[in-house]
Amino acid sequence: MKFFRDMRILAIIGVLGLVAGWLPGSAWAQVHVDQSGRRVDVPASPQRLVTLAASLTEMVFALGAGNRICGVERFSDYPPAARDLPKVGSYISPDLEKIVALRPDLCLAIKDGNPRYVVDRLQSLGIPVYVVDPHKVTGVIATLKEIGRLLNVEGRAGKLAAALTHRYQRIKGLAAQAVRRPRVFFQIGISPIVSAGSHTFIDELITTAGGLNLAAGKVPYPRFSQEQILALQPELIIITSMARGGGFEQVKAGWESWQTLPAARHHRIFLVDSDIMDRPSPRLLDGLELLFRLIHPELAGELSGKLP
Amino acid sequence: MSWSSLSLGRRLLWVVLLGTLLLGISLVLGLCLGSTPAGWRRNLAALLGLSGPHDVLATIIWRIRWPRAVLAGLVGATLSLGGLVFQALLRNPLADPYILGVSGGSAVGAIAGLLAGLAPFPGVALLAFMGSMGTLMLVLVITASEPGARKNSLLLAGVMVNAFCSAVIIFLVSITQDARLHNMLHWLMGDLSIAAPGQTTLLICLLIPCFLAILALARPLNLLLMGAETASYLGLNVALTSRILLVVTSLMVSVAVCQSGLVGFVGLVVPHLFRLRLGPDHRLLIPACVLGGGSYLIMCDVVSRVLPSQGEMPVGVITAMVGAPLFVLLLMRSR
Repeated sequence: MKFFRDMRILAIIGVLGLVAGWLPGSAWAQVHVDQSGRRVDVPASPQRLVTLAASLTEMVFALGAGNRICGVERFSDYPPAARDLPKVGSYISPDLEKIVALRPDLCLAIKDGNPRYVVDRLQSLGIPVYVVDPHKVTGVIATLKEIGRLLNVEGRAGKLAAALTHRYQRIKGLAAQAVRRPRVFFQIGISPIVSAGSHTFIDELITTAGGLNLAAGKVPYPRFSQEQILALQPELIIITSMARGGGFEQVKAGWESWQTLPAARHHRIFLVDSDIMDRPSPRLLDGLELLFRLIHPELAGELSGKLP
Repeated sequence: MSWSSLSLGRRLLWVVLLGTLLLGISLVLGLCLGSTPAGWRRNLAALLGLSGPHDVLATIIWRIRWPRAVLAGLVGATLSLGGLVFQALLRNPLADPYILGVSGGSAVGAIAGLLAGLAPFPGVALLAFMGSMGTLMLVLVITASEPGARKNSLLLAGVMVNAFCSAVIIFLVSITQDARLHNMLHWLMGDLSIAAPGQTTLLICLLIPCFLAILALARPLNLLLMGAETASYLGLNVALTSRILLVVTSLMVSVAVCQSGLVGFVGLVVPHLFRLRLGPDHRLLIPACVLGGGSYLIMCDVVSRVLPSQGEMPVGVITAMVGAPLFVLLLMRSR
C-alpha cells in the first residue's frame, strides 16, 4: 500500500509541476547548452535581462534589444543609454541582492570575468544564467548570433554578423597587401608597464591589422621595464586609456624624450580608447579599423568610403 | 546599587540578557537593510513569512542576507573571544586572535587557492584552513622545547611566522595581474559576501563546541591572569591549560577566518571594550565577547553593504574605522 501512496504523491507533484509550467510569465522554457557547457533553461523570448559584463550590455544593445535590459554591470557605459540603467555591482562581485530584486528572466554572463561560483549562486536562486566565452573576433561574431537566437532576434543578429564579418575580411585582405609588418608596442598599463601577449584580443587586432606585436608570447599580460622597450625598438607605441585620466600626455612625453626609439623619432605614439580594443563586443571592429589606420596609414585610403 | 555590588549571578544574567537583545537587534537590522530598500511593513511581512513563497524580498532576506548575517555573527564572536583568550593568556594587551600566525598562514593558503582559480567554498576555505594549521604547528614546534610555553617566545614566534607569510603574500600579489587581484585584496581585508547557507551550518557545528570549551575554562583563565607562578601555586596545571586554550582558540579562529578573510580589529578592540565596562572576570567577559562581538560584526557588515552607493566595501574597513575611535573614546572616559 505504501508504494501506491508514494505513487499518488508523485502524481500530485507531477500535476502541480505541469500547472506551474503554465503559470503567467513563463512561456515554454527551452533547454540550451551555454558556451561553458552548462545546461540552462532559457524562456522562449526573455524580456528582463541582466548583463554581467559591459561587453554583454553592448552586444544586447547592438542587437536592438537594449530596452529589455533591466540591470547592467557597473562599467557598462556604452551605448550612452546603458549608463542610466540600474547597476548591479562589478563583474567580479555582483550585488546578488540587487539582481534578485530586479526579477530578471535571464542573466548573461561571461566565462573570463564572472566567477563560476557567482554563476552557480544566481542559478541556485532561480535565475537562469547563460554564460558565453568568446575568443577571437570570429568568436565574438558567433556569440552575437547565439545571443540573437536566445533573444529571438535572429534576423537582426544575422545581418549584424554579416556586416561585421565583411569588415573583418576587408581589413584582413588589405593587411595582406602590406609590404612589411611594423613593430608595435601596445601599452595597457602605465606603472608598471604592461602589454598584451598572444591569445588576447589586442594581439589578434594588432596581427590582423598587419602589425607585429612585440609582446607576443605565452604570458597574457606581461610586464616590461623601460629598458626592455628601448631594446625592442618599437615603430609604434599605442597606449590605451585604461588607466583613465592617468596622465597620458606625460607618458607620451616620456617616450618622446627617447630619440633612440623609432616611434618617438617618427611621432608615432598614439592614445586609443581601451574599450574598443579589449571588450569582446561589436566595437572590436572599430578598434581593428582604427589600428589598421595607425599601423598602415599608407593603405588607409582604401578603407574610407564605401561601407556595405 | 552599583554594578560591582551585584552578585556574580545577577551580573551574568544582565550581560546575557543585554547581549542577546543587542544580537537580536543587529540580526533584524542585518536582515532588513541592504542594497534593495523596502518599507518596514514589507520587511516585517517577509521576515514573518507572510509574503508568500514567490516574494522577491523574502528570497533576498532568507537566502542572501540571512546566511551572511549568521556568518558575520559567528566570525565576530569567534574573533572577539579569540582576542580575549590571547590577551589573558599572553598577558599582552596588544594580542589579537591572529597572534600565533593564523592570519599569515590562512592568507597564504587563501591566496594560493584564488590563484589556482578555486571557488571560495570549499576550495579556498580549505586551503586557508590548511595554511593556518600549518603555521600554528610551526609555532608550536618552535616553542615546544621551552618549559611551559613561555609567553614571550610564543609571541615572537607568531610574529615572525606572520611576518614571513606577509612577505610571501606580497610576492604572490605582485606577480598577479588580472581580476584575481581584486579578489585577493578583498580577502585580505575581510569579505563576507560569499556566505551561503550550507557553509554557515558547518560553521555553527564547529564553533559552538569551541565556545563552550572556552567558557568551561573561564575560571582557569582568571587564575592565569594572576601570573603563571601564582596560578600554579593555586593548583592549576598551567602548561596543560595554556596548551588547550592555545590550540582550541587558534583552531576556532582558523575555522572562522578561512570563510571570512582577515577581518581585522574586532578581536583586538571588542575584548578591551568589555573589560573596561565589566572588569576582568572571564566568566562575564566570555559571554559578553561572544554576544557583543557577534553583534558588532553584523552591524559593521550592514554598514559596509549600505554605505557605498554601488557594490560593497570590505567589512574590515568598517570594523577599524568605527572601532578605533570608539575605543579611544572609551579609554579617555574610563580615566
